[in-house]
Amino acid sequence: MGFFYISDDGTVDGAEHGNDVVVLVAGGEIDYSASPQLSERLADRIDGGITRVVLDLSTVTFIDSTAIGALAATATRLRELGAGTLAVVCPDENRRVLRIFEIAGVDSMIALHNSREDAIAELATVS
Amino acid sequence: MRVQTAQETSELRLPARPAKLAAAREYAHEAAAAFGFDAECCYEVAFAVNEAVTNAIRHGRPDEHGYIHLSALADGDRLTLAVRDSGTFAASAAASAASGEGGRGFALMARLMDAVQLCVSSESTTVRLSKARD
Repeated sequence: MGFFYISDDGTVDGAEHGNDVVVLVAGGEIDYSASPQLSERLADRIDGGITRVVLDLSTVTFIDSTAIGALAATATRLRELGAGTLAVVCPDENRRVLRIFEIAGVDSMIALHNSREDAIAELATVS
Repeated sequence: MRVQTAQETSELRLPARPAKLAAAREYAHEAAAAFGFDAECCYEVAFAVNEAVTNAIRHGRPDEHGYIHLSALADGDRLTLAVRDSGTFAASAAASAASGEGGRGFALMARLMDAVQLCVSSESTTVRLSKARD
């Protein structure tokens, strides 16, 4: 089985914006043995009332279509809730993972950011 | 494992479980490396095989022993990885290829390989993924 983890990496205080930003970090290989966990973790946070999520994929070495599908579904769900956003962090150096996002054609659904700071700054502008 | 001379084949029986996907990628990567592909091509082959095996696990059916079958065939300048399950899911394969997640998987395979063939018989479904040396 491939190596995969996902963990909470803190909440960015968004009091002045009226909504906190949660940061999740995933690493390793996200294939179909891992993507259900990814979906579940994201769904848990949204069920708990979080609508702004940063997902840091900087140390992900492999991502498949089921993971992309899980992220697209999460982004769609957040949008439908209104004022919700999923910001994915995948730096330029992680070009294999970036390429899969590009080929999958989900750039209109999933916002990709080069750094966690960029992603958090982007979400802070969402009112 | 060696996949070097023309028409040389290797095979792997893989338990049809998501936890075995890493083993499928490793098999594909080794076959591609043995064929002489560079690191990027090896990754592309492993990615495509992972998608085909994922489809077989999700939508296909293992054989009576719980396996799906992988093979690598080196024929001249072309390496072909085949993923075979015992399902005959023509309709669901077509439906899944046409839209949604399944469609995304097939589109990715097609972009990363030179050719993707889906062969459905009365006994099995086989996806053949081919890539040629430059």
